Amino acid sequence: MVFVLFAVSLIVFLLARGALPPETALAPYITPRLDDAAKLSLAKSLAVATQSCPSWGAFLQHQPNCLVPLWEQYAVWLQNVLSGNWGYSLLPGISGGTTKTWDVFAARFAYTAELAIAGAVLTIVVALPLGIVSATHNNKLPDHVSSLIAIAGYSMPIFWLGYLLLLVFGVYIAVPIGGYSVGLLPTNGAFSTTCGACVNSPGSISVYTGMPVVDSLLSGNPGYFWNALVALILPTITLSVSTLGALTRIVRSSMMEALRQDYVLLARSKGLKERVVVYRHAFRNAVLPALTISGLIFAFLLGGVVVVEYIFSWPGVGSAAVIATTVFDVNFLELYILVTSLIIVVANLGVDILYAVLDPRIKY
Amino acid sequence: MADTTPQQQQRRSELRYTLHLMRQNPIVVVGSVLALGSVALAMLSGLIVNPAAGNVQDLPLRLCWNNPVTNWGIHNLYVCPGNHVYLLGTDAYGRDLLQMIILAMPLDLEIALTIVATAVAIGVGLGAVAAYAGGLIDELVLRVTDVFFSIPGLSLAIVLVTFFTHSLFWLTVSVLITWWPTYVRLIRSQVLSEKEKPYVEALRSTGAGRVRILFRHVVPNSIYPVFVQATLDVGGVILVFSVLMFIGFSPSPLLPELGNLAHAGIENVFIAPWLVLFPGLTILLIALGFNLLGDGIRDALDPRLRR
Repeated sequence: MVFVLFAVSLIVFLLARGALPPETALAPYITPRLDDAAKLSLAKSLAVATQSCPSWGAFLQHQPNCLVPLWEQYAVWLQNVLSGNWGYSLLPGISGGTTKTWDVFAARFAYTAELAIAGAVLTIVVALPLGIVSATHNNKLPDHVSSLIAIAGYSMPIFWLGYLLLLVFGVYIAVPIGGYSVGLLPTNGAFSTTCGACVNSPGSISVYTGMPVVDSLLSGNPGYFWNALVALILPTITLSVSTLGALTRIVRSSMMEALRQDYVLLARSKGLKERVVVYRHAFRNAVLPALTISGLIFAFLLGGVVVVEYIFSWPGVGSAAVIATTVFDVNFLELYILVTSLIIVVANLGVDILYAVLDPRIKY
Repeated sequence: MADTTPQQQQRRSELRYTLHLMRQNPIVVVGSVLALGSVALAMLSGLIVNPAAGNVQDLPLRLCWNNPVTNWGIHNLYVCPGNHVYLLGTDAYGRDLLQMIILAMPLDLEIALTIVATAVAIGVGLGAVAAYAGGLIDELVLRVTDVFFSIPGLSLAIVLVTFFTHSLFWLTVSVLITWWPTYVRLIRSQVLSEKEKPYVEALRSTGAGRVRILFRHVVPNSIYPVFVQATLDVGGVILVFSVLMFIGFSPSPLLPELGNLAHAGIENVFIAPWLVLFPGLTILLIALGFNLLGDGIRDALDPRLRR
C-alpha cells in the first residue's frame, strides 16, 4: 500500500522534473517584483539549483554545474511532503494570489467528494436492480433491454451525455422567470439561484464540511439545501451512467452464477417463493464478487469526475487538474494524483476487510 | 481449402458453431454491423472525402446549419448561404461537419487499434513470462501493475500528456501506459492454471524448451479471454482518447479527430449544438459496436453457455 503511493509519487515527480525545464518548478513562487539574485536564491532554497550556481542566467541556460540531480530533488521534495509542505500552487485560491497547494486542494476536494459520493450512490441504486432483473429474466426481453442500457452506458462518451443533458435541461426545457427564459436545472457549478427549479434568495450557510448539501442541512437552511441538491442532479447522472453500465454487467453475471448453484435448486424444491430464493439466497452470495471490483468502479468514477466537472464548471479538484495541466502546475498535479490513488488504495483495503466480515469462509 | 485432418475438421465445425451461436443473438448482430460498418467506413474514408478538406477554412460558412429536418429551436440560427445542404452543419472553421466526421474515423480507429494491439503484445509477453517463471519476476511484475491499478486511467493519462509534447504519438503513448496492465493480469491468471495441466508436463518430458512450451502451447491455449477483452477495449480506448482530445490536448485545432471536433464546439455549444452532439454520437456508435461484439464473442465462447 505504501509502496504503491511511493511509486506513484516517484513516477509523477520524475516525469514532471525530468520532462519539463527545471524553472517550471519555480513558477508558483516567482513574482515580477523579484530580481535575478532573488530568483537564484529562491531556486537554491528549493533545491532546484545547486549552491555553486553562479547566476540566474546560468541556471536558465541549464549549465551542468547548476542542475541538481533528480534523485536529490526527489529526496528534498519527499521530506517536504512528509512534513505537510506541499508548496504553492499556480491556481487561484479563494482570496486570489499565491496560495498553498494544500489549501486550494482541500477547499475544492469537498465538492469533488460530494459529486463522487452522489455518483456512487446513484450507480449502486440503479445497477443492482437492473443486474438482478437481467439475471432472473435471462435471454428474455427485460435482459436484452437492461443489457442494452448497460452496454450503451459504458459506450457513451461522458462529454456527449453531459452536453446532451445540459442542452435539454438547461436550455430546451425552459421556465420563464422575471421576463427571461431560464433553463429548468442549473448547469453552472455547485450552487445556483438562476434556474427554473431554484429558490431565489436562500440566504447563506456556515461552512462545516465544505460540501454545500451537507453544510446547508447542518445550518438548517432548506432553501439552500434544495438549490445545492438541484445543482447536483445533472452532474451526478452524467457521472454515474458509464459506471452504472459496468456494475450492471457484473451484478448480472454473478447473479447468473449464483442462480445456477445447487442451494438455489434446493431452495426452489423446498417450495420457497421465487422472491425469497432470489433475494435471500442468490443475491446475498452474488454481492460478494460484485464487491470485489467496487475498487475498480470507484477508480472509474474518480476518473470520470474530471470530465463531468469540466463540463458543468463544478468547482472540484478534477476541473482544477485540467487547468493545472495547462499552466504546468506540478505541485497541484502531484497532490491530485496522490490523493486519488490513496482513495482507491484505501477503498480496496476496505473492500478486503468488508469481504472478510461478509463471508465467514474467509479468515485472515 | 480441403480438410486434411480430423482435428482441422473439428476446429472448423467449432468455429461454425460459434458463428451460429452469435447469429442467434440479435444484439450481437447489431454490434457486428456497427463495428464492421465503422471499420469499412474508415477504410473508404479517403475515397468519400478528399483528405485535404480538413485544411480548408471557409469563414463565411462558419457555424451554419441548413438541414431542413430541424432548426434546433435556436432563434438566431445562422442558415448556410448557397444551395448545398450541409446535413450535419458546419464547424467553427466553415468545414462540413459530416465530411470531418468521416475523415476522423480512420484516425480514431487506427489509434485505438494500435493502442490495443501494443498493449496486448506487452501485456501478454510480460504476464505470460511472469506467470510461467514465477518467483521474483512474477512478484515484480505484479507490484508494477498494482501501481497502475490504483490510479484512474484518465487522470494518469491527463498528467502524463501534460509532461509530454502534445503530439499524436505521445498522446498514444500516454493512453498505452495506462492500458497494458489489464492484459498482464488477465493472461497471468490464465497461464497459472494452464501450466499445471498434464500436457505441459508431457511436453517437458519430450524435452521441449521453456520458451517453446510457453509461447507455442500455453499462451495459445490461454489467449481467448484476452481477445474478448481486446475487442471490448477498442471502444474503451476510443472513449479515453477522445476525452483527452476533448479536454484540450489536441496537437492542432484543425485536426479532424472526433474528440477534437467536439472540443471546438464547446464555446459555441448554445448557437451550434451539433458540433458537440454529432462527433460524440459517432464515438458512441463505434464504441457500442465493439462492446456488443465483444460481449457476443464472450457469450458464444463461454463453455457453460454452450450446448
